[in-house]
Amino acid sequence: MFSDLKRIGLEACVLIAFGALFGLTLNHQLVVDAFSGQLVSPLRPATQESVPVALPLPVLIDEVQQVMASGGLIVDARNPELFAMGHIDGALSLALVDSDALLPDFLARISKDQVIVTYCSGFGCPDSFDLGVLLIELGYQDVRVFEGGYPEWRDAGLPVAGGSQ
Amino acid sequence: MKRFLYHLVRLMLALVFIYAGAVKMQDVVTFAGYVAAYQILPYAANYLVAATLPYIEFIAGVLLLLNVRIRPALVVIGSMTLVFMVALISVLFRGLEIDCGCFDPGGGQDVTAGVALLRDIGLMVLVVLTWWLRTSGRDEERGTWDEETLS
Repeated sequence: MFSDLKRIGLEACVLIAFGALFGLTLNHQLVVDAFSGQLVSPLRPATQESVPVALPLPVLIDEVQQVMASGGLIVDARNPELFAMGHIDGALSLALVDSDALLPDFLARISKDQVIVTYCSGFGCPDSFDLGVLLIELGYQDVRVFEGGYPEWRDAGLPVAGGSQ
Repeated sequence: MKRFLYHLVRLMLALVFIYAGAVKMQDVVTFAGYVAAYQILPYAANYLVAATLPYIEFIAGVLLLLNVRIRPALVVIGSMTLVFMVALISVLFRGLEIDCGCFDPGGGQDVTAGVALLRDIGLMVLVVLTWWLRTSGRDEERGTWDEETLS
């Protein structure tokens, strides 16, 4: 019975090792980039043929604060309802879903050399990145993405506005 | 009857984990984002988990599907489900919003931590049931089940 369990445990370990090895073989570049501190773009690497020339650079929460302090613009890519429920204090709402309607006004008001940081509902939310790509395509020169988004900002206890927060 | 039930739950688990693994393999970077949203691991470790976990899930699912190395596969799947449950409980306790909450072009709904936890409990029941049916079935019908394919 004991040797049976030992064998099962050993085989389970082999299974995990095999799976991990398989995964690392296919994704080693991603893991190496992540561990070497290079920020990894949330876009899938080189699968699309029409990748834009420049992609928005992902930034961490400290850098968002630095950008804010130096006069950069923080842009909320979430829909207006979520923005109303709570957003980063000082952020401008530019919902990706309404971008067609909102962008003409945005383009008229914000100069192309303005540093912009986009955010949405955190990791796994693609809107901030997509909006960042859109802004770069429209000619904005320094667009960055705060991947942690509103949840990370709020959970860090940093200033928020709107809603009952 | 027991044998039929065994194959039924085995195949259900197999399909769930093959699907779960295959979907995540398609977009490892996005999955890393979901792992990071749990705020448990350091930044780079999220990518390490995302780069390996889907493949382990997939291989364990394939073993269940093929009806080979069932118990090691169940140990792996059970352990992973247990880890997911602990992570989800920690999310619930910390009150994190791990839902995307943003516009989804696919129209799919995000699953909240509570629902995901209930789903994991269901999976855990299936894992235990498969183990039990596998073990008791072999004891009762020793010699009639093919030892080679079931071991």
